[in-house]
This record gives sequence, C-alpha cells and structure tokens, in this order.
Amino acid sequence: MFLLALVLVTAIWELYKLVGPPDGGTVFGWTILPRANDIAMPHVWEMLSRYADPERRGSSTPIAVIVLQGAWFTFRIAIVGFAIGTLLGLGLAVLMARFKVVERGLLPYLVISQTVPLIALAPLVVSWGGRLSLGAFEWPRWLSAAVMGAFLAFFPVAVGTLKGLTSTPPASLELMASYAASWRQTLFKLRFPAAVPFMIPALKLAATASVIGVIVAELSTGLAGGVGRLIIEYARQATGDPSKVFTAVIVTALLGLVMVGLVGLADVTLMRNRPREAAE
Amino acid sequence: MNAVEVRGVSKVFNAGRPNAVEALVGIDLTIEPGEFVSLIGPSGCGKSTQLRLIANLTEPTSGEVLVNGKPARAARLDQDYGMAFQQAGLFDWRSVTKNVELPLELKGWDRARRRQRALEMLELVKLSEFADHFPWQLSGGMQQRVAIARALAAHPPLLLMDEPFGALDEMTREHMQVELLRICGQTSTTVVFVTHSIPEAVYLSTRVVVMSPRPGRITDVIDVDLGTHRDVETREADAFFKKVTEVREALRGIDTTGIEPDIEQALEEPVEG
Amino acid sequence: MRLPRASVFSLMWPPVVFGVAFLVLWETAVAVFDFQTYFLPPPSAIWDAFRANTALIWEATKVSGLNAFVGLVVGTALGIAMSFLLARFRLLNDLMTPLAIGLNAVPIFVLVAIFNNMYPITSEVPRRLMVTLVVYFIVLVNVARGLSEVGAIQLELMRSYAASEAAILRKVRIPNAVPYLFTALKIAAPASVITAFVSEYFGGSQNGLGSRIVSNIALSNNAEAWAYVLGACLLGLAFYLTALVLERVAVPGGISAVEQVGA
Repeated sequence: MFLLALVLVTAIWELYKLVGPPDGGTVFGWTILPRANDIAMPHVWEMLSRYADPERRGSSTPIAVIVLQGAWFTFRIAIVGFAIGTLLGLGLAVLMARFKVVERGLLPYLVISQTVPLIALAPLVVSWGGRLSLGAFEWPRWLSAAVMGAFLAFFPVAVGTLKGLTSTPPASLELMASYAASWRQTLFKLRFPAAVPFMIPALKLAATASVIGVIVAELSTGLAGGVGRLIIEYARQATGDPSKVFTAVIVTALLGLVMVGLVGLADVTLMRNRPREAAE
Repeated sequence: MNAVEVRGVSKVFNAGRPNAVEALVGIDLTIEPGEFVSLIGPSGCGKSTQLRLIANLTEPTSGEVLVNGKPARAARLDQDYGMAFQQAGLFDWRSVTKNVELPLELKGWDRARRRQRALEMLELVKLSEFADHFPWQLSGGMQQRVAIARALAAHPPLLLMDEPFGALDEMTREHMQVELLRICGQTSTTVVFVTHSIPEAVYLSTRVVVMSPRPGRITDVIDVDLGTHRDVETREADAFFKKVTEVREALRGIDTTGIEPDIEQALEEPVEG
Repeated sequence: MRLPRASVFSLMWPPVVFGVAFLVLWETAVAVFDFQTYFLPPPSAIWDAFRANTALIWEATKVSGLNAFVGLVVGTALGIAMSFLLARFRLLNDLMTPLAIGLNAVPIFVLVAIFNNMYPITSEVPRRLMVTLVVYFIVLVNVARGLSEVGAIQLELMRSYAASEAAILRKVRIPNAVPYLFTALKIAAPASVITAFVSEYFGGSQNGLGSRIVSNIALSNNAEAWAYVLGACLLGLAFYLTALVLERVAVPGGISAVEQVGA
C-alpha cells in the first residue's frame, strides 16, 4: 500500500510537470504554483538514474556511494543522539512522575525548550565541547551534533514515558501497596513495564527527532560528511544539476524510515508476550 | 491471638468539607484464626472500605485495626495478608508463574525458592499446565485462580478478598467457590470476603456480617453452621436455604435505595507506598 | 485516578519558581565563571539586546510568524478536508495512512531545499508550503483517527435508527473528532513555528527570525542572537497558548486523555 502511495505521488508529480506553468504561475495574484520546468522539477526517472552517475566531473564514484556514505555518517551520530536523548528523557520522566512539584515546575520549560531554534544552541554546544576535555578524552565535533539530536529526542521520550508511568491502573498500584512495595520496586516491577505501550510511539518520534537534530547540527556547525551538508551543497548546484539534490533528499528520507524501523523492531521484541491491542 | 480485631473504627471521607461521607461508624469486629467471614450489604454500606482498612490501604478516622496482633500498618509491612480483587489484576507482561512469584520477589526470596513455591501454588489451584502461559491466554476464572495463588504465595495467615468472583458467570462462580474452600481448607487461612451475593456468603462463610449504609455500620452477625465440609450438595440442603433466608431477612430491613453519593466516589486518598 | 481539584496557585508557583531559579543560576554562573559574552551571554545582556532591537525583532517575528500562521491555517484546513475524504473512502484511507506514517518518520523539512528551487528566490511560499505540509500530516492523522475511532456501541445504536452515513458523520463522528483536532493543534502550533524557522536555514529570503539568528551567530553577536531566540520562543509560546485557549473554548469541561499522534 505504501508503494502504491509512492506511485501515486510520482504520478501527480509527473502530471503537474505535464500541465504546469514552466515558470511558475499565479493564482489570484499569489505566486503559489511551482515552476514545472525540468530544472526546478526534474523527472522522476532522471532522479533515479542520477544515482548511478558520479558526483562531479572527473570522479568515477557514482553519487549513490557518496550519498549513502553521508547517510551512514549521519545515521551513526543520530543513534548516539537517540541513546543520550532517551536516557535523559527517561530520567526526567521518572523524576516528574515521582515528584508532582517537579512535573508542574519543569514540564512547561521542557515544552518551551523545543521552540528554541536548534541553530542558536549549535555554537554553544560546540564551544562547550571544546572546553570539555577530561584527561585524554577530546570532545569530537560529531558529539555536538549528537547532543543536538539528543536535545530534540529527549522531549517526546520524557512526555510519553511520563504519560505511561502515570497511567498505571490504580488496582495494580493498590496490589503493590498491599505488598508494602517501595516506590522504586513499584517503578521497576509495575510502572515501567506498564508504560511500554506508551513509550513505543514516543521512541519512534524521538528517532525521527534525533535525525532532524543531527541534520540541523550539521548545517549549523559546519560538520562535513553527513547528509545535511550534502543537501545544502547540492541545492546550491541545482541550476546546473537539478536531480542531484533529490538523490540526497531521498536517501535522507530512507534514513528516517530506517531509524523508525529499528524502534519498530524493539516494539515487536518487547511486546511479543502481550495481547496485540493497538499500541499506537 | 485474634486474626483481625477492629475496635471502635469509623471512617469519614472528605472530613470537614461539604461533601463529607460517613463511610463507617462504630465498627467492632473480632475474627478468629481459621474463620471465613463474609461482609455483605447494599452499595455504600462500607464493606469494601472495611476490607481496605484491614489491609491498611486506608487509615481509620478513629478507632484501631489490629491484624495478627499488630497494628494494620505493621501487618501490611510484614506482608501478613494476601489480597484478591474483582479484577484479577495480573501483569500482562509476566507469565503465570512469574505473576505468582511477584510477592516473593518483593520479599527478596532467591530465584529457586520462588519458582518452587510458585509451582506449588499453581498445583494447589490446579493450573500447573499453564505455568508458562500468559494472562491473556487464560479465561476469567483461571485468571482469578492465578490471582488467588499469588495472594497465598507467601503463605500469609490472612486472605482478604473484595468480590473476587463478581466478574464471573454463575457456573464458574460456583465452581470457584468450591475451589476456594478447598484451597483455604488446605492452607488453614483466615478469610475476610466481601460480596454482594447472599448464596455465596452463606456457602463460603462460618459467619456472615450484615452491613447497612448511611452511615456504614454492622447491623447483624449471623453464624453459619453448615459444617466444615461443604460441597455441591450443600447448596441444595434445607439448612442452606434456611440460612440464606435468614440473611436475606436481615438485609431486607435495610433501606437499599441510594440517594447518598457512592462511597467509591469519595475515595480520593492516594495509595500509600 | 482523579486528583482533588488543584488550586490555580499550586499549579502556577512551581514553574515560576523553577524559572526564576534557573535565570538566577544562569546570571550568577556567568558572573562567577566569568564567561565571555561570545560563549554564553547572561540573561541581563540578552534582555538589553532584546530591548535595544525590539523593532527589528518584531519585524522578523512578523515574517516568520506569518509564514507559520499561513501554513498552520492552510494545513489545518487541508488536513480536516482530507480526513473527511478518508473517512468516506476506504481506498483513499488505505493509500494515505501508510504515506502519512512513513512521512512521519522522515525529516521532511529537507524538502525545503527542493521547494526553494521551485519558486522565485524572494518568495516566502517555500516556507509556507513546508509548514502546510507538516501541519497537514499532524492534523490529518489525528482528525482521521477521531472520525474513525468511534465506539462500536454508538455506531450500532445509530444503525438501529437507520441513520444515514451523513447523519452518523454529523452526530457521532464529528463531535468525537473535535478533541482530537485540538490535540493536533497543540502539537501543530509550536511545530508550525519551528518549521518556519528551520525552513529558513536552507537559503531563500532572509527576513525571518531563523535567518537573523544564523547571521548574528555568524557575526558572533551572541547576545543579539539570543535576543532573537527569545523572540522565537515567545512566538512559539503565543501560538501554543492560542491553541490551548481555543481548546478550552471549544471543548469546555476538559478532554479525557486522548493519545497524541503525529510529529
């Protein structure tokens, strides 16, 4: 079905190219119709065939390799960002679940933190990292990107996990009370396992978020080697080489899908013993 | 030493506020070891509240509750009782065996000992074949049996049950009643049992405590002398019907139409950990 | 579990206390550790920069804000319209849903790079298009869910009245979907603002908050950059609060926990 949808989108793209104004058009005076010429909107088959061609004149490596390498680079950083963000999010969720005061005081700021443009934090993270050398450990530049990925990833994890931790059935909580279980015991034996259905969709959002964070980081800290940098570069060359930017964009999309797919794998493993109700 | 002693207990919810509810007033009750005592009465009579006071899941406004000779709180911290609710409340993510092991884990038992005891309990409730199944694979009645196995896993002297068979159909219910008596007979457990059903109360108990609402209080205590060996035929005996009638008449004198808000709605107390 | 009605005060004081404590900590840390302004400006410096540049910040805010707003409105309208179609035509539903879920996983904001080439360089349309797209999917997924996840009992009741599909839509599905719409708006409102900024990183016109922040950082004017960031946060907050207020107005009596779906 997903493939069918893709085919449909491709069909609409090509259809528009066929009938759309080559230099863009106006509707009621607003320039909202995109240009349909081959430079702004290359044909789909041109995009796909571009993968086989080299990145620039004189090189023999097909662009597919370059772009995939970029995706791999970004992917590894995104995984680290995801891990850090998840740990941070879980920690905050537990803190907020334990102390209502912390939830009331902190949650509004967590929400606001997500409106802070990442691009403003980038130089901050980079320069802090520069100063943070513990002994032999030197802060690598990519770690700043991972931190920014973590910054976007922690929020959905915190919110989703908090919701899960506080949605435990009261009867089960009473059961644990009847066993004189401590808060810690109740947390690990009851609240967390019961929260997993809430955490899975949150982790999927976090996976995408960490990719976004890393890409924005690549753009704003000038980190080379990742897919974000490639997109900007190729976008600049669009007039000469229109399909180039699409190669990078499509691969980025695949990267996002892979990240979410990995969480989906975890979903299947963790939920295998539970009845198959809608977890999303 | 008595299994349970309730002395001059009263419980008021939302005390001092306009929506205050007198859930229980002037409760005095003594339960001896080995007894099976049912609490029966219409909605709002405070029977569930009474049970939760014994379980120390809530505190009395006045009076005291002693369990096993200790204050209720100490008894709870020492895990001197097991509890079963209307919903089996098994953990979806644990196998049947691991569900039964839960109280033992919390007591710090090691793995081997826990597993052995859990399997013993499953044998007691006749669910050994389902040891590695998961709760959603079991019927309602079977889940309740696992819940009972869990409640008795640590061999507590006291078992508290809040309408555990309420969600089951009549046939399963009667079967479970027979099973419960068998299990409790084998383990010599004292039982305090909350129910809506008169036949159930009479069939299971050595004593039936009749309660009435507004305010919640004990209006009658009826001894049930149907003997210690009860089976399917007991339900068809004359003595049984006579007792059921006696309890029914004790209940009839109680005004069962409710205009007072439900006790449950007033229950706004956090669960103590 | 229902909690006793918390007083407004008990809801307000923790965030205020936390916020004040944080600002004080920040200000003292900068003073004590003698951070250079290019490293981390203290709140006082940011506030000064904000006051000094208020007019400029306001201009930039208007640009980004308008982009976000247009995208939000159009995206919401399209999302609602499409969700009605999805509720009506199963085939469309089966096509759209995997696409929506798939695109949810993808950092689609990179499409702005492509959009920028489709329009004249001074146009704000690429950004608005991006915001529309992001908002569209958020609203679509949530409202479609609200329209379709109606209790089976309610549907059977309506069928026993021989109600037409249109009547079921009006009387059952739409009221059911309203809380879902507002859940979506609470996510989409801040998302529209963020997407508006992020879209500015990829070139195109440089009048919005995002590009201002970038240029100030490039010039190491950190206090000024953070003043624009403050403007950005205020814009995001304004959008979110508006969504909250709309929710209170349209769904009085509160919303029972509705699971959030979408970006």
